[in-house]
Amino acid sequence: MSDLALSSRKPAATLNGYRIVQSISVFVIALVVISPLFMLFIASLKDDRFQILADMGSFRAFWVDNPTFNNFREVGNFAGELAFGRYLGNSLLILGSTVSLGLVINSMAGFILAWGSLPGRALILSVIIALYVIPQESIIMPLLIIVSRAGLSDTFTAQILPFVASPLYTFLFYQFFAQLPKELYEAASIDGASIFRTWWSIFMPLSLPALATVSILMGIETWNQYLWPILITQTDYARPISVAIATFFGQDSIFWDRAMAASVLMMIPILVFYLAFQRWFISSFVGSAVKG
Amino acid sequence: MATVEIRNLRKAYGALEVLHDISIDIADGEFVALVGPSGCGKSTLLRCIAGLETIRSGEIRIDGRVVNDLAPKDRDIAMVFQNYALYPHMNVAANMGFALKLSGRPKAEIEERVGKAAAILDLARQLGRKPVALSGGQRQRVAMGRAIVRDPKVFLFDEPLSNLDAKLRVAMRAEIRELQQRLGTTTIYVTHDQTEAMTMADKIAVLNGGRLEQVGAPLELYRTPANLFVAGFIGSPQMNFVAGDLARKANADTIGVRPEHLSVGRDGDGWRGRVISAEHLGSDTFVHVEVPEAGRLTARTVGDMPVAAGDDVVLTPMAGYLHRFDGDGQAL
Ligand SMILES: Nc1ncnc2c1ncn2[C@@H]1O[C@H](COP(=O)(O)OP(=O)(O)OP(=O)(O)O)[C@@H](O)[C@H]1O
Ligand SMILES: [Mg+2]
Repeated sequence: MSDLALSSRKPAATLNGYRIVQSISVFVIALVVISPLFMLFIASLKDDRFQILADMGSFRAFWVDNPTFNNFREVGNFAGELAFGRYLGNSLLILGSTVSLGLVINSMAGFILAWGSLPGRALILSVIIALYVIPQESIIMPLLIIVSRAGLSDTFTAQILPFVASPLYTFLFYQFFAQLPKELYEAASIDGASIFRTWWSIFMPLSLPALATVSILMGIETWNQYLWPILITQTDYARPISVAIATFFGQDSIFWDRAMAASVLMMIPILVFYLAFQRWFISSFVGSAVKG
Repeated sequence: MATVEIRNLRKAYGALEVLHDISIDIADGEFVALVGPSGCGKSTLLRCIAGLETIRSGEIRIDGRVVNDLAPKDRDIAMVFQNYALYPHMNVAANMGFALKLSGRPKAEIEERVGKAAAILDLARQLGRKPVALSGGQRQRVAMGRAIVRDPKVFLFDEPLSNLDAKLRVAMRAEIRELQQRLGTTTIYVTHDQTEAMTMADKIAVLNGGRLEQVGAPLELYRTPANLFVAGFIGSPQMNFVAGDLARKANADTIGVRPEHLSVGRDGDGWRGRVISAEHLGSDTFVHVEVPEAGRLTARTVGDMPVAAGDDVVLTPMAGYLHRFDGDGQAL
């Protein structure tokens, strides 16, 4: 009896030790990740940009004596070529269009690769994987030439269209669709569904995890675009918020206070976007982890 | 309702031919079971008829029309898959009505036909549920319902009962058969369970290694199997086969006798042997006997047969129930 009691206590003890180590590491990681964000938020509440700089090296970076929303108000009155809200709107427009078009195009392509009767499918797949390896920056100059020749400089289209189709997301959808049972596809084809209808009515509704994952990855990628918008826009008409924030970092002085507030403002939409989709995003990663 | 004719059908995956020269005629309203061991090509043949596989050569006619080049949806067939393949995100009503919706039927008609099918299958109270919220048996019924609402020319079933427990399987067997007779729809039913085939089908087609061994009514296959394979496949427990001197005496290379056609006695004329084991099932007794000149034989006798391991017995084949086969395994 006592033997049994002993042996049943031991694993519990090691489990507790493991739990403690786990909790501490999670806490440390969270601290490392969150502290810059927290610092940013605190700084955005400080009125004096020289004070922000002075506090940067000490613990005062995490403390604000007289919090104020002045910086946010000033950002609101920001006198660039456009009002600050317009840049935010531009960014949202680019994000919404890129992600929604991207979901449609990449999932369609992935679906055809997974289930269509496509000659040379293996070859197409390996080309897609090869394309994924090429970094975006390396094709940015030829892309710039193509887009300007097409007369699309300074447009939203130029910031949306080139990024809609993506080898990574097509492949992600392909993998997701391919692991669904083939009988679903066959049942739909016997029921009389066209390939388009099968994609839309059967496979898309079953793809929430893939849709969420692609939305989040694509959304973050689009929101943080910086180099491309600078290259492709000459005026502020179609410029996103990421570019507008850079104007606070002027040639002779840096407006830390307003830059901090603008950064906080820039983070909020993408955070909301992430939170909206993260439930399925996480479950999709857990799912693929379980399956190996 | 329709006839199905298959002429010289060949199917290959790449260089590997898996169906060799299959020809079957199926009459209007007939229930045909395709049986055979695992990997013999039952599912493949069914999928060829459904149009899910392209065939290498031959002809498939449904209702007199060659359907070789028609898409599945244009063949007017309905299929029930082994894993049911219900649409997980649609409720039962939407699952059953999907085909009708696609063909552009008015909402009222869809509702009426789905309602009628649900009533037949005892699913009326589950119409609003998703497949995950159903039991295995209910899912099976939904898959059936999806097939019957369309009122197709032919039902194709691929081992539809194999995921159910034994008791439910027996119940559904009778139910499907009854439903098929009521609707009068031509049905092709794949199973590897010969009892299922014997009890349900008008006609059984036995496949082996991609070849059709024999087609016939259940009792025809039982009484006059065309070859050793069919003789061994149909009937449970399996037919006893004896080669050697005993077979030669009967002018054959191999003789076969079913366990139920061997009578077990204490003495008399017949094959003497010693009981290895006796399985008392209550209704029957299976007696396994080692006979020196024949090998291990199984006899099936009445339930209260007082035999036990070690007993000496005499097995007597009943007159007229001996099957004779030549060197190629063909019945003589
Ligand atoms: N997609 C495929 N590619 C290559 N060979 C295949 C394919 N599908 C089936 N086969 C082969 O064809 C043969 C027949 O397979 P099939 O699925 O029709 O057998 P089955 O009689 O239905 O068996 P089971 O009772 O196990 O379901 C098998 O040898 C199988 O390996
Ligand atoms: Mg099969």
